[in-house]
Amino acid sequence: MPIFRWGSALDAFRDLEREVDRWVRGVDIVFENPRFGQPFPSLNLYEIGDEYLITAELPGCAAEDLDLSVANGIVTIRGTRIAPGEIPEEHYRRSERSSGNWERAISVPERIDDDQIRAELTDGLLKLSLPKAPSAMRKQIHIAGGKSATKEIGQQENQDD
Amino acid sequence: MTEDIPIPDTDSGSGNDVEPQKWVRTPPIDIFETEAGLVLRADLPGVSSENLELQVQDNRLTLFGRVTPTDIEGAVLMHQEYQQGDFLRSFILSDDVDHDRISARMTNGVLEVTLPKVSRTQPRKISIQTD
Repeated sequence: MPIFRWGSALDAFRDLEREVDRWVRGVDIVFENPRFGQPFPSLNLYEIGDEYLITAELPGCAAEDLDLSVANGIVTIRGTRIAPGEIPEEHYRRSERSSGNWERAISVPERIDDDQIRAELTDGLLKLSLPKAPSAMRKQIHIAGGKSATKEIGQQENQDD
Repeated sequence: MTEDIPIPDTDSGSGNDVEPQKWVRTPPIDIFETEAGLVLRADLPGVSSENLELQVQDNRLTLFGRVTPTDIEGAVLMHQEYQQGDFLRSFILSDDVDHDRISARMTNGVLEVTLPKVSRTQPRKISIQTD
């Protein structure tokens, strides 16, 4: 009896793929705890209709600690976390939270309307709404009903509206 | 001073990956000593003070922060660096901590728990009687 049949060969591959996926996800869980090489802040990017939404986790940040700027489709967020030296190092029993200066630049996939950007910071969670620029949005082009060339010549004089 | 061993709950996070919305995350923490005792700080972005539960039971301090998910209709996730989920972590308190005077406050998504030391009374000399 054959172990692999041609018909089921792909299914076996799919099973393997699923297995590897699960394994990789398991590794993610393991590495989430020591925050292994994770950039700060962590952010998610969503597309909602004609707008992009960036959410960033900025615990401990007040609005005045943040510096937000945009140029050429690149959004830059920078700030300072936990002033170093606030608490002497030898007093720490455990130190897992990141500290110091940070900066992140996010390039947005499409052109955005720089003047319409909205930002909101609540409980250490930043929500940045970036509406797409009108030129980046799909535009419906109106097609005028064509008239035959010969008729147009005759109508041109009395069609001054 | 006895060590306080933070024990992240292991029964969370892993297991069924059927419901990705139900993620439970372990928040990063700092613990440092002050004159009065210990101070614990935890990063809980997206958790407001009314969505935070903090309880002490049998020497175990548990913090649970509920995150209101930013579910927006028609939103397509294009890039993801963090999972949305509630925060859970628990710690074993040492006997030095005065359980009745524990206080906490939330500022910009950071929880600060003050764990004061038990105020020791002056050492009392015990006279030893001889038979």
